[in-house]
Amino acid sequence: MTTDNRSHSDALVLGIDTGGTYTDGILMEYHSREVRAAHKSLTTKRDLSIGIESVIQGIRIEDPSAVRMVSVSTTLATNAIAEGKGKRVALLLIGYDPDLVASFRMEARFATQHYYYFSGGHDLYGQEKAPLDLPAVLEKVASIKDQVDAIAVSSYFSPLNPEHEHRCFQAISGICDLPVVLGHQLSTKLGSVERATTAALNASLLAVLRDFIVAVRRAMERKHIVAPLMVVRGDGTLMSDEFAAATPVETIHSGPAASAIGGRFLSGLDKALVVDIGGTTTDFALIERGQVTVSEEGATVSGYKTAVKAADLFSIALGGDSHIRLARDNEVTIGPERVVPLAYLADQHPGVMSHLKGLNQRQASKIDPEALEFWFLLREPTGAASPASAQEKALLAMLSDGPKPLPEILDRLGLISRVQIGTDHLDRHELIGRAGLTPTDLLHTEGVYTAWNTEAAATALRVFSRCKRWDPEAFSLHVRSMITEAIVHAIVCFLSEKTLPPPPEMEKGGDIGQWFFLNSLRNVHPHLRTRFELSLPIIGIGAPARIFLENVADILYTKLILPDHHPVANAVGAVAGTIMVAEEIIVYPRVAADGLEAIGYYVQAKEERQLFDELEDALANARKLSRERALGAALRSGADNPQVAMEEKTDGLDTYRIRARAMGNPRLAPVDRSL
Amino acid sequence: MELIEVDTRHAYTVIREKIVTLALKPGALINEQELAEEIETGVFPVREALKLLTHDGLVFITPRHGLYVADISLPDLEQLSEMRLALEPVCARLAAERADRDDLAVLEALRKEQLATDPQDSKRLLDIDHKFHQALIRAARNKYLARSLEHLFGLSQRLWFLTLPKLDFLHGAVAEHLEMLEAVRDGDADRAERIMRGHVGAFYDRVRSLLRSED
Repeated sequence: MTTDNRSHSDALVLGIDTGGTYTDGILMEYHSREVRAAHKSLTTKRDLSIGIESVIQGIRIEDPSAVRMVSVSTTLATNAIAEGKGKRVALLLIGYDPDLVASFRMEARFATQHYYYFSGGHDLYGQEKAPLDLPAVLEKVASIKDQVDAIAVSSYFSPLNPEHEHRCFQAISGICDLPVVLGHQLSTKLGSVERATTAALNASLLAVLRDFIVAVRRAMERKHIVAPLMVVRGDGTLMSDEFAAATPVETIHSGPAASAIGGRFLSGLDKALVVDIGGTTTDFALIERGQVTVSEEGATVSGYKTAVKAADLFSIALGGDSHIRLARDNEVTIGPERVVPLAYLADQHPGVMSHLKGLNQRQASKIDPEALEFWFLLREPTGAASPASAQEKALLAMLSDGPKPLPEILDRLGLISRVQIGTDHLDRHELIGRAGLTPTDLLHTEGVYTAWNTEAAATALRVFSRCKRWDPEAFSLHVRSMITEAIVHAIVCFLSEKTLPPPPEMEKGGDIGQWFFLNSLRNVHPHLRTRFELSLPIIGIGAPARIFLENVADILYTKLILPDHHPVANAVGAVAGTIMVAEEIIVYPRVAADGLEAIGYYVQAKEERQLFDELEDALANARKLSRERALGAALRSGADNPQVAMEEKTDGLDTYRIRARAMGNPRLAPVDRSL
Repeated sequence: MELIEVDTRHAYTVIREKIVTLALKPGALINEQELAEEIETGVFPVREALKLLTHDGLVFITPRHGLYVADISLPDLEQLSEMRLALEPVCARLAAERADRDDLAVLEALRKEQLATDPQDSKRLLDIDHKFHQALIRAARNKYLARSLEHLFGLSQRLWFLTLPKLDFLHGAVAEHLEMLEAVRDGDADRAERIMRGHVGAFYDRVRSLLRSED
C-alpha cells in the first residue's frame, strides 16, 4: 500500500487513437472520468509509432508512475491491408475445391496471390473427407518458404475438426521457422472462404503489429510509464497486447469503434447515432443498449470479406481536411483527397502568407484556382527514401526552400499538367505533402476553430470565392450545405441500408425516393412537405462536429449532443472499453456409418475434442468448459473481476454453439510498483 | 514462452540469435542500453530477455561486473559431448519405436531439402541438421528428454558456428540421415541408436580437432 493519498486515489489511464490524419492522446482519471490532459500530433503513416511516440512525449503527465493503463486503437491493420504493406503470405487450403472456388471467382478474396490446394479436410459431421496429403504440403512449403514471411492454413470444416490444420502446423514448424496461422483459431464460423481470408490477413499482419507493440512499449518506457498495454478491437472491446500480437486481424476498424465507445462514454447515452468527423473521413456507428452495434457479418476491409467481428460502421471520404476544389465544370467538389489545411501550412511556413496575398491582388480572371494548392517538403529524404528520378530530385530541390504553389511547380519543371509529375515514390515515403483549401480553413474564418493562421485561411477563401465570382460568405455557406447534405445522405443510407446517388446527380431528376430525399433536405416543393425524423440523438465527435453537425441535426429533427472533450472522444474510447474474451465451443453429432443416426456428441473446443453419449452431457460440458476458458483468458488479459455471459445458438443439423463472453473493466496496475 | 510480454519475447529471439551465431562474441560484456538501441526496443524487455538467457546458460551475471555472454571452452565441449552421446542415441531409439506417418513426412522433407542444398552453404546445412534432430526429438515423444536435448542444443549451436567456416563434412551427413530415416521408418530401434551414436560421436571428434588446431 502507498501512503500517498493523491496517487492512491488517482487512477490515471492513457488512451491513444491513431487516425488517418491525427494521433490523439488523452490522460484520464479512470474513476471520475475526468480528462486531465489531451494532445494531438500528426499521424505518420510510414511508421505509426513515430506519431504515437510524439503523443506520449507531448502529453502533459506530471507523475508518469501514476499511469496505470495504456490503451491504443489503431488503423495500422486497416492501412497495411489497404496499402498492401502486410507481409507476404502463403495460404494452404486443405480440402477446398479449386473448381468451386474458381467458378465463383473467389480466388481474389484470399488476400494473397500465393494460395495452394491440397487434399484433406472434413465434412459437415467432422469426419475426414479425404486423407491429408502432408508430403505435398511439406514439399510446397519447402519450395516457397524463402519467398514468403508467414504461412496460413485453412482446412475445410476445421471449426468442427481442426485435426488437419493442427497436423500441418506441427509438420510445417518442423521444417521451417516461419510463423504459421491456423484458420480455426481465428474463427469458429463455417464459411470456408472467409476463414481462409482471415487466416491469410492475420498472418500478413503478425510482424506489423508486433513491431508496433514493441514501439509503443518502448515509447512508454522512455516516458517512465510502467503499465499494462491494451489494444482496441474492431468491436470496441479491449484485448491485451499479447492477444493483439497473436490476432492482429481483430484490430480491423478499431479506430472508428473506439470513437463510438468514447462518444457513448462521454455522453452517458445508451442509444444514439455517433458521427465522428475526422481529418480524412467521417464515420458513423450506432449505439444501442449502451453498446456499439456489431455487424453479424464479418468485417470487410479493402474488399476482403473476413470472419472478424467488428462494429457495424459506415464511412465516407469527407473530413475536416478534405480538399475543396473547382472541378472541370467549375463546380465545387470536396474530397476525397486529404490535404493539409492552408491555415496550418501558413502557420508553419510564413512565406505562404505572402503568396496568398499576392494571389488576392490579381484580377479574378487571372487567378488559377490550382494556385491555392501548395506542395511542400515533409522531411529530408534519407536512405531508401532518396529520390530516384531526375524529376523527383528537381522537385525536392525546388521545395527545399519552402512550399510552392502548383502552377509555379509546373512552370519551373516545364510541364503543363500535374499528371506529368510522378510522385508515387515521394508519397509512399511521405517526403512531400500537399496543402489546399479545406473545411478546417473555413472553421478558422468563422472563428470556430482557430488553432492556426486565420488570416491565411480568410485570404485563401477570398481568392477561391473570386474565382467563382461569389462573395466569401456565400461560398462558405455553400460548402457548409454541401457537407451537411453529404452527411445526411450518409446517415440515411447507413440506417436504411439502401443506396442513393450523390445529391448533385439527384438534382437532374430521379425516382420518387430521390425526390423525397432532396425535398426533405431543401424544401423544394411549394406544397408537399416531406421530412426524415431521426428518433435518436446524434453524438458529435471531432473538432469540426460543432459546426458541421448542427444543421444535420436540424434537418433530421433531432438533437446534437457534443460531450465535453468530444474532439478527442476517439482517444477516450480507447480506454473506456471493457476487456472481452469470447470462447466458442461447438457441439455436434457423431453420426453412425449409415449417416442417419447420431451415436454420440462431440464437444469441439479449439484443438480439444471430447465425445459424449448424451447431448445433455455434451452441452453441460461445453458450458462449463467455455465458461472456464473465457474466464481464465479474461483474467490473463488483465480483466478485473470479469463476468461471463453465456449464449447458445443452434446451426440446425443438431449442431450447437456455446459461447461464453467474459467481460470486465481493465485491472489497473497497482500503484506501489517497484521498478 | 507463453506468458512473456510481446516485446520481451521479441528481444529474447533477437538476442539469442546474436549469441548463437556469435554476432555477440563469447565472453563479451553486454551493454543493455546499446543492445536496446540496436534492436529498437526498450531497455526493460532487453533486461527481461537477458534473464531468460541466463536460464539457457547463454548469459552469465557476475555480481560486480555485470552481464557477459557465456564463454565457450574445450572442457565445455567435452561435457556437452558426453551428455549428447548419452541422450541422442536414446532419443533415436524412441523415435524409431514411436514415429508416426507425419514424423516420417517431416524427416523425409528435411532429407530432400538437404539433398537440394548447395554443399557450400554450411549455415543452411547446419540449420537443416538441427531441424532433423528436432524432428527425431518430437518423434521420441518424451517431454523431459526433449527439454534436456533442447537445452544442450542451445549450448552446442555456438560450437557449430565457431567451426562453421571449416565444417566441410556436413553434406556428408546426407547419407547418415538417409540411413537414420530408413531405420526410423522400419522401426529398427537398435540400428537408429547405433547410427545416432556414430553421427554425434563423429561430429564432436571433428569439432574438437578443429578447435584444437585453432589454438
